Amino acid sequence: MKSLVTIREGSAAHWAIRIVTAVLLVAILLWVPTKGSASLITTSIEAMTLMSAAMALNLVLGYTGQISIGHSAFLGIGAYTTGIMVSRWGFSPWVTFPVAFGVAFFVGVLVSFPAARIKGVYLALVTLALGLVFPQMLTWKRFSWLTGGGSGLPLSCPATSATRTCAGVAKTTTGFDIGPAQKGQLQTFKIFGHDFFGDLRRLDNKSAFWYWIALSVVVVIYLACRGVVKSRVGRSLIAIRDNETAAAVMGVNLVRTKAFVFGLSAGLCALPGCVVAIKTGGVSPEGILSLTVLGAITFLIAMVIGGAGSLWGPILGSTLYVFVTDKTGSWADDDKIPGLIRPLFGWSKISPADGIFALLLIILMFVAPRGIAGLWKQYSPLVVRVLPRPAGTGGTPEPLATVSATETTNEGEPQ
Amino acid sequence: MDLFLQRVIDGISQGSVYALIALGLVIIYRGTGHLNFAQGEMALFSTYCVYQFGEWGVPVWIALVLGMGVGFVLGSITEVTLVRPISKKSPFAVFIVTLGLFRFLNWLDGAIWGNQQLPTTAVGSKQGRFPSLFPREPEDHFKILGATIRWERVGILALVLGISLLLYLLFNFTKFGLAMRAVASNAESAKLTGIRTHIVLMVSWGLAAAIGAIGGVVMGGLNGTVNLGLMFGIFIYGSAAATLGGFDSPVGAVVGGMIIGLVENLASGYIDWVGQELKLGVALLVIVGVLLVKPSGLFGTPKVERV
Amino acid sequence: MSMLKIEGLTAGYGPVSVLHGLDLEVGEGELVVMLGANGAGKTTTMRAISGLIGRQGTIEMEGVNITKWSPDHIVRAGIAQVPQGRGTFPELSVEDNLLAGAYVRHKGEGVRDDMERWFDVFPRLAERRAQKAGSLSGGEQQMLAIARALMSRPKLLLCDEPSLGLAPLITQELFDVLGRLNTEEGLSVLLVEQNANLAMHIASRVYLLETGRIVASGTSAELSADDSIRKAYLGF
Repeated sequence: MKSLVTIREGSAAHWAIRIVTAVLLVAILLWVPTKGSASLITTSIEAMTLMSAAMALNLVLGYTGQISIGHSAFLGIGAYTTGIMVSRWGFSPWVTFPVAFGVAFFVGVLVSFPAARIKGVYLALVTLALGLVFPQMLTWKRFSWLTGGGSGLPLSCPATSATRTCAGVAKTTTGFDIGPAQKGQLQTFKIFGHDFFGDLRRLDNKSAFWYWIALSVVVVIYLACRGVVKSRVGRSLIAIRDNETAAAVMGVNLVRTKAFVFGLSAGLCALPGCVVAIKTGGVSPEGILSLTVLGAITFLIAMVIGGAGSLWGPILGSTLYVFVTDKTGSWADDDKIPGLIRPLFGWSKISPADGIFALLLIILMFVAPRGIAGLWKQYSPLVVRVLPRPAGTGGTPEPLATVSATETTNEGEPQ
Repeated sequence: MDLFLQRVIDGISQGSVYALIALGLVIIYRGTGHLNFAQGEMALFSTYCVYQFGEWGVPVWIALVLGMGVGFVLGSITEVTLVRPISKKSPFAVFIVTLGLFRFLNWLDGAIWGNQQLPTTAVGSKQGRFPSLFPREPEDHFKILGATIRWERVGILALVLGISLLLYLLFNFTKFGLAMRAVASNAESAKLTGIRTHIVLMVSWGLAAAIGAIGGVVMGGLNGTVNLGLMFGIFIYGSAAATLGGFDSPVGAVVGGMIIGLVENLASGYIDWVGQELKLGVALLVIVGVLLVKPSGLFGTPKVERV
Repeated sequence: MSMLKIEGLTAGYGPVSVLHGLDLEVGEGELVVMLGANGAGKTTTMRAISGLIGRQGTIEMEGVNITKWSPDHIVRAGIAQVPQGRGTFPELSVEDNLLAGAYVRHKGEGVRDDMERWFDVFPRLAERRAQKAGSLSGGEQQMLAIARALMSRPKLLLCDEPSLGLAPLITQELFDVLGRLNTEEGLSVLLVEQNANLAMHIASRVYLLETGRIVASGTSAELSADDSIRKAYLGF
């Protein structure tokens, strides 16, 4: 395959590409909350929630090849941990993040033990059942003292806990009311005249604040996935995915590795759940689509379209998914469809996004089973090819937030 | 005693619906070794079609046959255009395609019929409720040993047993059934005896979808309505039935379905804390338990995992 | 006109080609043996003739080009194969296995009579007619596989290493049956074997196959007479 430009890894040109990509990425991430419209910020938060869940799912599906259609349950555990802790016991929403991670990690490890013995599509079946059972469990009458049953929980400080610390949630149901008491401490932080954190102090403009929380969750999950994948554990994972028996023979502790990764994946998947709970201002079995089984299928679709087994795949897939869904969301109303393609979608009584993505997923399986990330890996060398550094010369550590043609993720189709 | 008998009959009758979905799963699994995640949604599409035929004034039994025809065509086309070409790639790809089909069909139903429960006066439905195959007025029941048994329940049970019998005859006493069994047993040898395996597989998928359609219509009749989420739970119950009976055993599918229905009804009836909310949890426990303890199920053939 | 005539056959699996221009002929009423080491392409040849794998070149049966035909079409034309490793239907009864063998025939064409006839030839199968094929011994399964192939009333029988994993006595018995079918019924047979010694006794002609090509051919006597061939390939 001929490429237009060939550069050497670690050369000036290579670093230039990396830096430009990083700067572009940071610029976009800063532009959205400061200059973007309110709806763009909301959509971005949705995209980041979805990519968080998809990345967490990717850790088990893309790297160990264990199929899960039940990750919505872990997201739900996160959402309900936040809901219960804030609403029932008056904790600050901040505290709920690590707790949600811990709870979901624990549940994930529990699930991993049967999952380690159940293979392939059977595990998919079990997790699908789990995904369907979870919302019903929430409405169980024996749990309703905790979960609020079918109507769920509003995310506000309990009225009776006036004496307890109810940090930051004193007045509203948002959980992140930066009240007057803190007004003096939080200055608007400006760089080159832009208010990057949005106007935190005004109650009607919290989107930017949530945006940063959602982005932090994405970054944390990305770093965690990257850390795992590039570590010794990551290599064991890929060995497990490609040939379980061979991995066991080579000394990979299957049960422990799978338990750890499943737990980690579940724990990470809980974090976007916390974000959703806070942003929605409450939790209920039907109010949050992501905790139903359709949510879990969406994670899977976004992840596979982006590229299973690739670090950037879920990010690309989720972004595409949410933005297309947002653009076509009003298309159930024929008049909202752009005239040119109205005959194509005019007959549909609901938004066409889910159908489009389901179809895209099927088509991609035929033409590009590794998703967008796979296509990128296949075709980007046509433009720029990066020659790897000769072995043994060592190298400087890469910056973390670069997207480049050298992304040396071990990609592969899970079996 | 009277309540117990009633619950047993209701449970078996309910379970017979799961058996229909399980039968479809088993027929496909035997032929191609795949677990068809779209089985429930294929049935749902046919069920919506039956509602539509009802709107056009077609008598319910004729509508059912037409709906089965739609299912058959849908299943066959799926096998030929999607499953066969993709199965050359990997089992994972097949899984993703059936899952994609699951999502696509669910969307398609919504796109055509909207996301509200049907029938509803909101969209001007002519029917008051989803067409039922059997009489279901309050007085349509009989008493035996003090238990009230609804004709509808008996009718469903009889229908499913009748279909199981027909399938049994098809499998064991027809040339095509012999071909289906041969393909399930050894596909390459089947080719060497001159069996057109591609036609057998195509028909298997069609047959599975047609049987599923009956399940969907029966569920719609019991529910009185059809909606986009109708088959999610049923698919899990059906899968639990197929797992329990053994994924390659049609007899297992029927027996497994009835056991699941019975356990589910008795558990939610007698164990107070199970209630309506945890019924599906029973199915989940059955699936996990069987897969861990005896993956081949009650009637299935044990499989040796090759390294 | 010969029963089977193969010219320039190339076949393999995916990008890997196993046969490189193979020529072979089976005359009417002949019993032809193909000898060759593991990996020479014997089974690939059989699978190519039956249409199970992609193939190029020409395969003619009684003067008709069948190269592009589908497996079921080829069976209908009169070629039946006993695949390597028996390839019975283990979950089906012995009778059902035989009925499946007659799949290409119409009912009432004496299928039942044929079945009884093969039960006479292989009495051990008759005793186990209701048993599942998977429960039979290796020799019985091999008999079943041959009987099943014969149920389609073939003009040409392809037999892929029937002696594999069988006790010598049973192998002898099978070869006797094959020889009788050939001489008494005039059935054309193409037999793949590693057991050269036995096979050459019943063979009309012999081909030697090596890495996808025919390297020598002739009657059993001709090949046995050639010292170099005898030492290199026949081992006696």
